[in-house]
Amino acid sequence: MTTFIIRRLFWTIPVILLVILLTFMMMRQIEGNPFRQSERAVPEAVQRNLERKFNLDKPWYLQYAYYVKGVATYDLGPSLVIRGRTVNDIVEEHFPVSIELGLYAFLFALVTGVPLGMLAALKHNSALDYGAMFFSNVGHAVPSFLVATLLIYFFALQWGDVTGLPTSGWSSWEHKILPSIALGLGPMALFARLVRGTMLETLQQDYVRTARAKGLRYRRVVGLHVLRNSLIPVVTAAGPLLGFIITGSFIIELIFNVPGIGQYFVTAVNARDYSVVMGLTVLLAVIVIVANLVVDVLYGILDPRTRDART
Amino acid sequence: MRIKTPWLLLLAMLVASLALVGAGCGGDDDGGDAAGTESGSGTTEEGGGEAADQTITVNWGTEPPSLDPGLASDVTSANILLNIMDPLVKLDDDLNPVPSAAESFETSEDGTTVTFALRDDLAWTNGDPVTAMDFEYSWKRTVSPELGADYAYQFYGIVGAQDYNGCDAKKDDCAALRDKMGVNAVDDKTLEVKLTSPQPWFIQQAAHHSFLAVHKPTVDQFGDKWTEAANIVTNGPFELTAWQHNSRIDITKNADWRDAASVNLTKVNGRMISDGTTAVQAFEAGEIDVTSGLPPDEIPRLKDTPEYAQYPGLGTYYYGVNVKTITDVKQRRAMALAIPRQSIIDNVAQADQLPATGFTPEGMPGYDAINPESTFLPAEGDMEQAKALMDEVANPKTDITLYINDSPGHREIAVAIQAAWQELGIESTIKQQEFQQYLEFLGPPPNKDVDVYRLGWIGDFVDAINFLELWTCESGNNSTNYCNEEYDALIEKARGTEDNDARYELYGQAEEILFGENGDMPVLPIYFYTYVQLEKESVKDSYEINLLDQIDLTKVTVTE
Repeated sequence: MTTFIIRRLFWTIPVILLVILLTFMMMRQIEGNPFRQSERAVPEAVQRNLERKFNLDKPWYLQYAYYVKGVATYDLGPSLVIRGRTVNDIVEEHFPVSIELGLYAFLFALVTGVPLGMLAALKHNSALDYGAMFFSNVGHAVPSFLVATLLIYFFALQWGDVTGLPTSGWSSWEHKILPSIALGLGPMALFARLVRGTMLETLQQDYVRTARAKGLRYRRVVGLHVLRNSLIPVVTAAGPLLGFIITGSFIIELIFNVPGIGQYFVTAVNARDYSVVMGLTVLLAVIVIVANLVVDVLYGILDPRTRDART
Repeated sequence: MRIKTPWLLLLAMLVASLALVGAGCGGDDDGGDAAGTESGSGTTEEGGGEAADQTITVNWGTEPPSLDPGLASDVTSANILLNIMDPLVKLDDDLNPVPSAAESFETSEDGTTVTFALRDDLAWTNGDPVTAMDFEYSWKRTVSPELGADYAYQFYGIVGAQDYNGCDAKKDDCAALRDKMGVNAVDDKTLEVKLTSPQPWFIQQAAHHSFLAVHKPTVDQFGDKWTEAANIVTNGPFELTAWQHNSRIDITKNADWRDAASVNLTKVNGRMISDGTTAVQAFEAGEIDVTSGLPPDEIPRLKDTPEYAQYPGLGTYYYGVNVKTITDVKQRRAMALAIPRQSIIDNVAQADQLPATGFTPEGMPGYDAINPESTFLPAEGDMEQAKALMDEVANPKTDITLYINDSPGHREIAVAIQAAWQELGIESTIKQQEFQQYLEFLGPPPNKDVDVYRLGWIGDFVDAINFLELWTCESGNNSTNYCNEEYDALIEKARGTEDNDARYELYGQAEEILFGENGDMPVLPIYFYTYVQLEKESVKDSYEINLLDQIDLTKVTVTE
């Protein structure tokens, strides 16, 4: 297992170099000027000073080399647009907020989605099953911004006096409830359907029948054998999902005015803030790689058969 | 591993989740009127005396990109800066410069030397006195090529500033160029500025936030981080007490400020809600007292609430015309006349903007002289005359491409204008681009594919020159290919004219060249901007935005 992890970590290096190169090239391909944020033209001397200050006057391979060197030493460079702040500042200040929001949403999705899927599977074809699946379909189909808007409208505006929930912001625990639910509803629906599907399949397996036949209590069979084997697809989906969910949701952060990192993914591209775009892409790449690694390790724990193939 | 399923808990969760969805589904039918009653409840309050608690919560709208006076180049940063710093001069209600940190100011006989005399009681929040040296240092810092300030060009009217800003450390002696720049602290209290030519608007310009002083020891000690709440040293009526990026900026009354007795507000909590709809919801829930940046489709509803407030702005929304592709001036005049400005404002833009009959916006000092009852560009448009003019065009260009950027609202206006031009027999194709791409695409140098393009211009300082110089041949903001020596000569002459009335008259002649009966029409002005916002009635009487979209918080009082 250890060699496996080390080898996988080693392979992240070329992947990240490639991610940097591609992002770097793509950002340079789209037109735009990070130093012109309004309709006002930038005088030539000012433009030159800025390009010199941020090394944009150097050839591209030098800029790339500087950048890679920066990433290696965890120096993601200064923002070209938000003057006086570095990409490190932005990541360090806003990423934890997105992680927090993402984790709450993920937890909400797990603790509601998995039981919901189990209930539906165990009471197959009952009203409970249909209800749960209807709910899950709705959760899956309704876009998060609509859910967010409805949550704010009812729980903060209409019933605000009763619930005491604010419309937006991130300064107290009350602020964190609605955005977590809004962000978690989609993944919850996904989990519920995944669990239901695999659980129905697992319940038909021979070993379940054998376990029942040798007199094990139904609850114990479900709890020990069925659930464990049904969780594999959930883990497969959950890893990358967690990666994306903690790197921030632009729309949820915007609607709830959450100072997370999600909105920087959009604003930085719009503003052509090259260094912020690069820094965030590298961050996202690292997280997805790590999330996939964790999934692979979890597979090994849940399913011993996959262990030998990898070590 | 043993996993027991807590059935009861599961059931509870399911019920809770279903309740959520049920709530979500029932919402659509009563959405509209519920919001209406919400905003109506505020009317019962009577405007009364001063409230005991002089704290307000405002929405700054966005994270200010920088609170360094040298680097800030947007409205939010400017608004915060002008309340935590003390400018040499302030603009009064009529936009005339009045003394602030400077006790007095004086322009020499020939108009090229301006001397500011600083007050004796100026202090930084750490106790240091504010001196003329602080201003000299700050201005030179902003112009320095190392800082890379957008607004360095604001200083180009000062002797040597442009040379210093354009200096390349590899080739030139930057220190020598810095010393040659014409800003000089004669003593602690006297700041002398040498201008390249007489610039009657320079005093007004000094009210701009880029002319604020910064505290050198703080800048030296903290570098890029000197503007963080923990480090910053300021000299204005308010102090920056908290800055959580992208979340909140709180400013608190500076009790040691020279005129603190006149300041009523004790604290301004500032949030940064960039989404207009979210901000309106926060306002309606009573979480914030003031918010701007209202979503256009909400304005018709909000307009009827007592909290809605609207102010004229110093900005012009216009279409530029490529005079190399639409060559016949009569066609350009016809296109200008055909635009139904007022009905576009009433039905599309909807924020009570003012129809633009010229390029210099209303509210600009001397407006009456600059744009006297423009007869040529009527607010409602004149389709008959437009058609008559179009008939006279020998080789009309009937197939044009109209470029706009893809921000909300522009397309609707373009479609309205497209329909008007269709009546003239002109088929226009509307093409949209993302903003940054759009700016690069338009140039200058002007793009050959563009026949007509949309842009806006917001004034930096209060003189019509800031608008009219856009259409000179060498202007970096002129993407129309328009170049008229007569026009350039007039603008050049106006630059050197100190007497306000005489200068306004020259501006009037320049407007006439562009938009008069025989005007060249390289630009089709559409409307003058307005600023709209929601203000709780407790601050409504005193919360006033000026033409430059600035709020002077020293004048705000919370009433009962």
